[in-house]
Amino acid sequence: MRKFLSIIYKDYLFLTRDIAGLIFMFFMPIALVVLMAYLQDSTYNSVNESKIPLLLLNQDNDSLGCAIEKSVQQTGIFSITTELNGEPLTPDALQANVAEGNYLIGIVIPAETTKKIRRNIRGSVIHTFNPDFEPKQLEPNKISIFIDPTAKESFKTAITSSINEYAARLQTQIVMNEVVAAVNQQFPLNIGNFDIPTDIIKIDEQYARSNPSAIMPNSVQHNVPAWGLFAVFFIVISLANNIIKERDDGSYLRIKTMPCPTWLYFVGKISIYLIICLLQMAIMILMGIFVMPLLGLPQLELGHSIGALLLMSVSAAMAAIGYGTAIGTISTNSQQASIFGSVSVVILSAIGGIWIPTIIMPHAMQIISHISPLNWGLSGFYDIFVRDSGIALVLPESALLLAFGGVCLAITLIYNRQKCN
Amino acid sequence: MPTIIEIDGLCKTYKGNRQPALDHLTLNVDEGDSFGLLGPNGAGKTTLMNIMCGLSKADSGSVSICGLDTVSEIDKIKHLIGVVPQSLALYPMLSAVENLRVFGGIYGMERRKVAERSEELLNTFGLWEHRNKLADKYSGGMKRSLNLIVGLLNSPKILFLDEPTVGIDVQTRRAIIDYLKLINNQGTTLIYTSHYLSEAEELCNNVALIDKGRIICNGKPASLTLQHSCGSLEELFLKTTETAINNA
Repeated sequence: MRKFLSIIYKDYLFLTRDIAGLIFMFFMPIALVVLMAYLQDSTYNSVNESKIPLLLLNQDNDSLGCAIEKSVQQTGIFSITTELNGEPLTPDALQANVAEGNYLIGIVIPAETTKKIRRNIRGSVIHTFNPDFEPKQLEPNKISIFIDPTAKESFKTAITSSINEYAARLQTQIVMNEVVAAVNQQFPLNIGNFDIPTDIIKIDEQYARSNPSAIMPNSVQHNVPAWGLFAVFFIVISLANNIIKERDDGSYLRIKTMPCPTWLYFVGKISIYLIICLLQMAIMILMGIFVMPLLGLPQLELGHSIGALLLMSVSAAMAAIGYGTAIGTISTNSQQASIFGSVSVVILSAIGGIWIPTIIMPHAMQIISHISPLNWGLSGFYDIFVRDSGIALVLPESALLLAFGGVCLAITLIYNRQKCN
Repeated sequence: MPTIIEIDGLCKTYKGNRQPALDHLTLNVDEGDSFGLLGPNGAGKTTLMNIMCGLSKADSGSVSICGLDTVSEIDKIKHLIGVVPQSLALYPMLSAVENLRVFGGIYGMERRKVAERSEELLNTFGLWEHRNKLADKYSGGMKRSLNLIVGLLNSPKILFLDEPTVGIDVQTRRAIIDYLKLINNQGTTLIYTSHYLSEAEELCNNVALIDKGRIICNGKPASLTLQHSCGSLEELFLKTTETAINNA
């Protein structure tokens, strides 16, 4: 224990005397998280909160028109306009505005649409019970949907399908009502109205991970873990240089002549850097909770699993420490370690979605992003902050990070042993 | 006196080198000896020291220290030895006291014992007044002294010294040599390498001349010079290694 504490004591002294290094480790990520969250906030808002502008002309004012209007309102994703400049909407004005790109979608439900459906169905039903009855020609009946040409195909399909669904549901109800009326007329049974249950088949729609209210991270939910991870991985430079310095000034050689196993030397170093990494993460999280709201940014919600948060923080720290230890051991001088360490961390962070979230990256880059340990870390923190996940759901990301750190440390020990031989 | 170090048929060739650094080297050192390993640059002295201290492994042969094997029982050996490397091995950003506290702790010494021993050694070498100064701010001689103090911290049974007085002033060298003589008289075995042959002649009661990884001659300095009809250790060194250089 005394040996372990001595190693920690020495590294503590090194770190606290390196003021520039401390500024680099703590103030740089704080500045980055504030700056980037602030810069990206409006972008996240436009993706998360903007509504699709929709023009709606409901001339029907009966069952179908009201059902469509109500359902469109209930989705919450449309900003519905029913009149233009205080003037009642007309089909021509609606079409013109969508064509000009002022609105993404326009729906026209003509007058008497519901009544026409009823009349058409009634004729068919009576003809079924009384073949002598000749129904009138089916009245033409259509709902028009105008869509901005720039809208995606999937969007058009979704809108058309929804309106078709309401029309079909209404038609079925009218058919049943007309059948009941016809039966009551033909036979003395006096059947009551038949209401079709709307929930015969329930579609249980939910997010693949726990909290359905969580969808996409806001600027704080992204930037706090992202720059926290960046800071944690940036200690690679400090750690690698610390190892090289000890090697260059001969003190590591002296330790090797002392009764202190190599693994204990590295465990001591890992421990002090683990504390630093956890401090960095804690500071970033506190920034998200207390400082970001003061800047008009959303407050960071921690989720409900502090255990998961701690697990991810420790895993990310271990990955970074393992990486830094390997770089410090393999590099021949501090210049080499600094350049390789900083460039590799910047590249891994860019690939991993620290600068730009992976969800807005091209598909190929989204696949490539999975090779970056920073992406594993970010994905785990998204699980906690955005999806409110617990320990079980962050285990895969945590295991990947710990395995990465473990492999790096194994490389370090093997390299050291080979050098001794 | 009983043998404290036994070296038997030691071989070591570094990767990429055809010439072995150690070539079937066999040597015994008695307890309480002040033993000088002398030889030209690249003779294999530092390689031999590194293998004895557990810093490097031999390709074949064996070394035992106090009856303990340097491969399988190196951890036990490390409690018995002190090492003063040729290059300074200190933390420049720590003060002398902090350096000694760290290294003492890594030796597993109690904090109080480290403090007592540090005070004693720093006073001996005139560094007590400078104990809180960063090692980086020390003069070359002060750094050498501190380098030696760290090696002496755990009161080792065997002290390995690889050119401990290189690049220092006469006064500091004298202080170091005198202290080494003192602890040798108190029973500490010294294994010493140097290019200062007069210093070796003064300090060592036994020497071995090494060249090309082999022992050329081995014994008491006076006997060796007499045996080879030389007036001094330096003359012997030049005579025995001259052939080796010419043959190289």
